Amino acid sequence: MNAVHSEAVYSDAPVVSARGLRKLYKGKPALDDTRFDIGPGRIVGLIGPNGAGKTTALKAVLGLIPFEGELKVLGRDPRTERDDLMKDVCFIADVAVLPRWIRVREAIEFVAGVHPRFDRAKCERFLLNTKLTPQMRVREMSKGMIVQLHLALVMAIDARLLILDEPTLGLDILYRKEFYKRLLEDYFDEHKTIVITTHQVEEIENILTDVMFIRDGKVVLEAQMDTLGERYVDVLVDAGRLEEARALKPVDEHALPFGKTRMLFEGVPASQLAGLGETRIPDLADLFVAVMKGTYA
Amino acid sequence: MTAIQWSDGAPIYRQLKERVIAMMLDGVLKPGDALPSVRQVAAEYQLNPITVSRAYQELADEALVEKRRGLGMYVTEEAAKKLLANERERFLREEWPVVLERIRRLGLDMQDLVHPAVNGHRGDA
Repeated sequence: MNAVHSEAVYSDAPVVSARGLRKLYKGKPALDDTRFDIGPGRIVGLIGPNGAGKTTALKAVLGLIPFEGELKVLGRDPRTERDDLMKDVCFIADVAVLPRWIRVREAIEFVAGVHPRFDRAKCERFLLNTKLTPQMRVREMSKGMIVQLHLALVMAIDARLLILDEPTLGLDILYRKEFYKRLLEDYFDEHKTIVITTHQVEEIENILTDVMFIRDGKVVLEAQMDTLGERYVDVLVDAGRLEEARALKPVDEHALPFGKTRMLFEGVPASQLAGLGETRIPDLADLFVAVMKGTYA
Repeated sequence: MTAIQWSDGAPIYRQLKERVIAMMLDGVLKPGDALPSVRQVAAEYQLNPITVSRAYQELADEALVEKRRGLGMYVTEEAAKKLLANERERFLREEWPVVLERIRRLGLDMQDLVHPAVNGHRGDA
């Protein structure tokens, strides 16, 4: 590689760029003209109901499935340049892939043997913070310990894109908090990019820099977290002002006991809403419910 | 693990900034003290580092903290003075007009304000 190329690698060019992705599973679209961009140094939450296409999108990015459309990951096509791409991409999936018989020591040996950017000392340092010992086998570990091992292995690889598919599924709250703490303290920096899918939205929403909602294989909302508060406002509308509020076309409306109504507005200036009732910045769970309304109906 | 309850009324970077300012006003953070690193705060409070950087940047813009190259952020010597000046300015701009309006409405004069009636029956305080 020449110098010009490596400079281009650290530009602001998107880490992932998808256009018109299509994938059918048993005749049903899992990706339907999907398009999105993910920039460098971002922590992106890919959020959607079960069966929305999250995992399919991630598998496409990782080059694990065939699909139609245009997809560039770190400038490469995952369908044809997968081996090259995998030097810069790591992932943890909800289905643990570590064999049950393997010992911690052997797992480290293995990754050190196959991955040129694996830093063994770093991995061993991460493991010092856990109860894992070199002799321990995966089958003797709790689910939380397996994820700790997995995370230590992955964080010791100097990859530029880390993909986490439901990484904390089935873990108790202590392990979940610890997982994200380690990620922020020992791994993430402005040259790295993390994509996370999870159903525990409220746990990661402050960690995210960006969010994507996916539904029926389409990206239905793509936003930077720090602009959500300008774009969406949640108002607890006073009983007497309902008609006035409805005239501003809320995207969601929900009547509460004792006469108040919660309304979610998109793109309406806060000054126009201030008189209607108490306003607040909606959290991701509120937005998710509003955007996904009718999904299972 | 430290739990912080963020309110949903204001962006989190601003709440974080206010928290640091409150610690300065309370004397928990004194001039010359180091702020914890962005990475540490992000990990401990489970925030994205951009949020933390933004809060720190605003504190730096207001000269309450300064960056020392390679070492991190430190509370400035003039932070206490600045904060007092800021608080005074805010009081005069936001709180005082409201109080003044109330004083007028209640018909209180200088005498009443400087030497309040002992029984307090002229005001409702």
